[in-house]
Amino acid sequence: MTLPIRRRAVTVLGIGAAAAIALSGCTASGTGAGSGEAMLTIPREDMGTFSQNFNPFSPTAAPMTQQAIYESMLVYNPANGETVPWLAESWETSADGLTQTFDLRDDVSWSDGEAFTADDVVFTFGLQRELLGGFDYLADVQAVDDDTVQFTLASAFSPALFELGQQILVPEHVWAQQDDPANFENPEPVGTGPYTEVSNFQAQSFDLLPNPDYWQDDAQHIAGIRMLAFAGNDGANLAAINGDVDWAPQYIPNIQTAFIDRDPEQRHYWFPPTGAMINWQLNTTLPMFSDARVRQALSMALDREQIVDVGMSGYTTAADCTGLSGAYDAWRDDAIVDACDWTTLDLDAAGALLDEAGYVAGADGQRTTPDGQPFAFDISVGSTSSDWLSVANIIAQNLGELGIEASVDSPDWASVVAGYETGEFETGIVWSAAAPTPYQFYRNVMSTESVKPVGEQTFDNYHRFGTPEADALLADFAAASDGAGQSAAIDGLQQLFADEAPVVPLFSGPEWGAYTTERFTGWPTEDDPYATLSTRAPTTVLVLTTLQPVEG
Amino acid sequence: MRFILRRIGFYLLAFWVSITLNFLLPRLMPGDPVTRMLSRSQQRLEPQQIEALQQMLGVNGGPWWQEYPDYLRRVLTGDFGVSISRFPTPVTEVIAQQLPWTLLLGGVSLVIAVVLGNLLGILAAWRRGGLLDSVAPPLLVFIGSFPYFWLAMGALYLFGVMLGWAPLRHAFSVGLTPSWDPTFIGDVAAHLVLPALSIVLVSIGGWMLGMRNTMIATNAEDYILMAEAKGLSPSRIMLRYGARNALLPSVTSIGMSIGFIVGGALLTEVVFAYPGVGYQLLAAVQGLDYPLMQGLFLTITAAVLLANLLVDLVYVRLDPRVRVA
Repeated sequence: MTLPIRRRAVTVLGIGAAAAIALSGCTASGTGAGSGEAMLTIPREDMGTFSQNFNPFSPTAAPMTQQAIYESMLVYNPANGETVPWLAESWETSADGLTQTFDLRDDVSWSDGEAFTADDVVFTFGLQRELLGGFDYLADVQAVDDDTVQFTLASAFSPALFELGQQILVPEHVWAQQDDPANFENPEPVGTGPYTEVSNFQAQSFDLLPNPDYWQDDAQHIAGIRMLAFAGNDGANLAAINGDVDWAPQYIPNIQTAFIDRDPEQRHYWFPPTGAMINWQLNTTLPMFSDARVRQALSMALDREQIVDVGMSGYTTAADCTGLSGAYDAWRDDAIVDACDWTTLDLDAAGALLDEAGYVAGADGQRTTPDGQPFAFDISVGSTSSDWLSVANIIAQNLGELGIEASVDSPDWASVVAGYETGEFETGIVWSAAAPTPYQFYRNVMSTESVKPVGEQTFDNYHRFGTPEADALLADFAAASDGAGQSAAIDGLQQLFADEAPVVPLFSGPEWGAYTTERFTGWPTEDDPYATLSTRAPTTVLVLTTLQPVEG
Repeated sequence: MRFILRRIGFYLLAFWVSITLNFLLPRLMPGDPVTRMLSRSQQRLEPQQIEALQQMLGVNGGPWWQEYPDYLRRVLTGDFGVSISRFPTPVTEVIAQQLPWTLLLGGVSLVIAVVLGNLLGILAAWRRGGLLDSVAPPLLVFIGSFPYFWLAMGALYLFGVMLGWAPLRHAFSVGLTPSWDPTFIGDVAAHLVLPALSIVLVSIGGWMLGMRNTMIATNAEDYILMAEAKGLSPSRIMLRYGARNALLPSVTSIGMSIGFIVGGALLTEVVFAYPGVGYQLLAAVQGLDYPLMQGLFLTITAAVLLANLLVDLVYVRLDPRVRVA
C-alpha cells in the first residue's frame, strides 16, 4: 500500500543527489537580515562545535581570535609582498642588526577603554616565551616610553622583524591577573581588534560585534562577524553553494560549476599561489638519494603540468629550480630559473643523468642501483589528502616511464609524519615552511644545524640534507642589515638549491578563498591583492577592515 | 538473585577489561598529539616551541606503569582531565555539551525505527505473502543498503536545498538561545526531522525483517493454533500471543542499540552539521586526544554495559525460562 509513494520518493531522491553538483537555478534562502545590518557570515569547516575559548595562546582557540580580536604591530601580506604598519607606525633596525625598535601608535586603546602601551608589548613577549617558547634570539625587551618598544637581539637575525612584528599582542592589565594563563579560557576577550565583543555564543555559532574603542575611525563598516561550525567540508560547501555564507575559505571541488556558475555576477574565487611550497622529499640518508644527479633526474621525469592540472585541478602553478613558492616572487632570481632545467619534463635527459650516476636500465627496462638492487621505493602521503594522493600517483606513473618502480604508500597522516620525523621513510609528499622571508624555507631544507640523525625526532628537515655552504649563506642573511645584503644571500641560496636539489619542489600551495558580493563588497582580488582570502592568516584583519556592506 | 549477582560480576569484569583496552589502544597509535595537531594544520614550529606546547598540553606523561594506576583512579572519580583537541576545556564539559544532542537524535530515531519497524514486521508476518510482506522488506533493505552518506546528502539536497522544507544544518537556528520556550522547541524539532528521518530510513529495514522472521516462527507454534481454536480475535492473537513471544530477540537488539546511541552518529553529524559527540570522537582519534577519547569511550562502554544489564534484568521479568536456568 505504501508502494507508489515510496518508489517515487526514491526515484526523485536519486535524481536529486546525482545532479547535486551540476544542478543550478535554486536561489539563496535569504536568511540574512536587511543589508547594512547583515552580519559577515563565515563557515569554519573543521570544528563541529565551538568552545568559548578566546585564549590566543591556546592552539585550539575559537576562530577569529587572532584575526578579529587581537592584533599585531605589523601585517605582512604575501599576496603582494608588502608590509602594512598596524599597531606600530614605523620601525627601525640598528646598523649592527642587534636592536629592533618599534614606534607604536599613540591612539590605540583596548576594547575596555584602557590605553595600549609599550608595557603591553613587553608583557606579551614575556608571556609568549613562558607559555609557548620561541624567540630564543631575544636578549631583552624594553619599553623605552609609552609608545616605543625596543628589542635587543643576542645576535643579528634579520627575519626577526617579521616574527616580532606579527606577534599577537594581549593587554597586561587582564592577563597579568591570571594565575594560569595557559588554561584561561578568556570568554570575554579584551583586544585591540576591530570586532571584539562576543555575542550569543552557541555550540555551533557565535557573533563578534564591533569594538567600541577601535583605533581606526573608518574601518568598521560591517555590523559584525558571524561564525558557523561545520563538521566537514561538505556541509560548509553546501552553505556556500546555497548562498548562506559570504566568505568560503575552504576547498570547494570543481568550484566553477558548483559555486560560481550559480551566480557568476556576484560569486568569485581567487586562489593565489602564496601558500608554502609543496615538495616531494627524498630521504637523503639513503644511498640512492644522496646523489644530487639522481634527485635532479627524478625531478626531470615529473610531468608538473599534469600534476598541477590533474592532481590540483589547475588551481596552482608549478615549481621552478629555486624551490620558492609564489609567496616569494619578489626574491626570485629569474636568471637562475632560466638557466636551470631540472624542473622541466625531459625523459631523455633524465635517463642520461641516471645512466651517468650508475642507475642503468637492464634488458627488461627496469633500472637498478649501482650495487645491483632494483631501483624501487615508496612514496608516502596521508590518505586523507585526496589531491596529494593523486599527485603521488602521477609521480609514480611518470617514474615508471623511466624504469623506476615507485609505489604509493598512503596510511594515516599521523603515521606518515611519525616516519618523516624519525627519518624512517623513503620518499614522501610534504609541505614546507611559510614565513615572510625565504630564510625559514631554505634553513629547513638545507642547513646542517637542522639535520638530525635517523631515529632521532626532528620537526623540520625531514629529508635530512645539510651543507655548510647553506649555513654560511643563511648566516649572511641573518646578519644583513639592508635589503641588498639580504637579496645577495637569498640569490646565493637559490643557486645552491638549483645545484643541489635537496628536495624536489612540485607546486606552490594555493590559498583557497571564494566570496559573494551579494551583501558585502571590497574583497581582495588578483587586481587588488591587498590581502589573501584566507580567514586564518594575519592578513584577515585587512579584509575585515575594508569590506563594505552593499547599500539599499 | 544468584543470576543477577553473577551478571553484575560479569559486567564489572567486562568494564575493567574495556577501560584497560581504552587506556592501551590510543597509546599504541603512532605520533603524539602535538605533531598531529601540526601535521593537520601543516605548520612547522621550532623544536623548543613544540616542547613548550607538549608541556602546556600536558602530554609528556610518564611510563605506562605510572600512568595506569593514576588513570584508574581518575576513571573511578570521574575526572578525565582537559581535552587536548578542545584545550583547555575539560573533557566532562565537552561531553556534557554535546551528549544531549546525541541522545536526542539517537533516541528519537531509535524509538521511531523500533516501533515502526516492529509493527511492520508483525503485520507482514501476520499477513504472510500479502502486499506488505512482499513489498516492504525488499524495499526497505534496498534503501538500507544505500551508502548512508549518499542517502543523507540526497535527502538534504532534495528537502533542504531544492524544496526548502527542512533546515540545512545545525540543531537550531542561528540567533536563537536555548530555552524551554515553544518557539525554540519547535525549531529544534524542525532541525531534527531530516537527520532522524535519514537514520530511520536506513535502520528500519533491519528491525522489520528481524521481527517478521521471529514472528513467522512463533506463528507456527501450537499455542497460536490453540488460541485460534478457542476463537480469540485475530488482533488479540497477533499482539498478545504472537508478537509478545516474538519480541524477545528484539529486546536484546534494542538494548545493544541504546548503548551505541551514546557513540553518536558520525556521518549524520558530518552531513547535517549536527552537534553530537560522533564528530568529536573522530576528531579526538585523529588528534590523539587521549583524555577526550578515554572519556568518550568510557561513556560508550558504560552505556552499552548498562543497557545490556538492564536488558538482562528485563529478561528475567519477560522470559520465565531465564529465571529457572
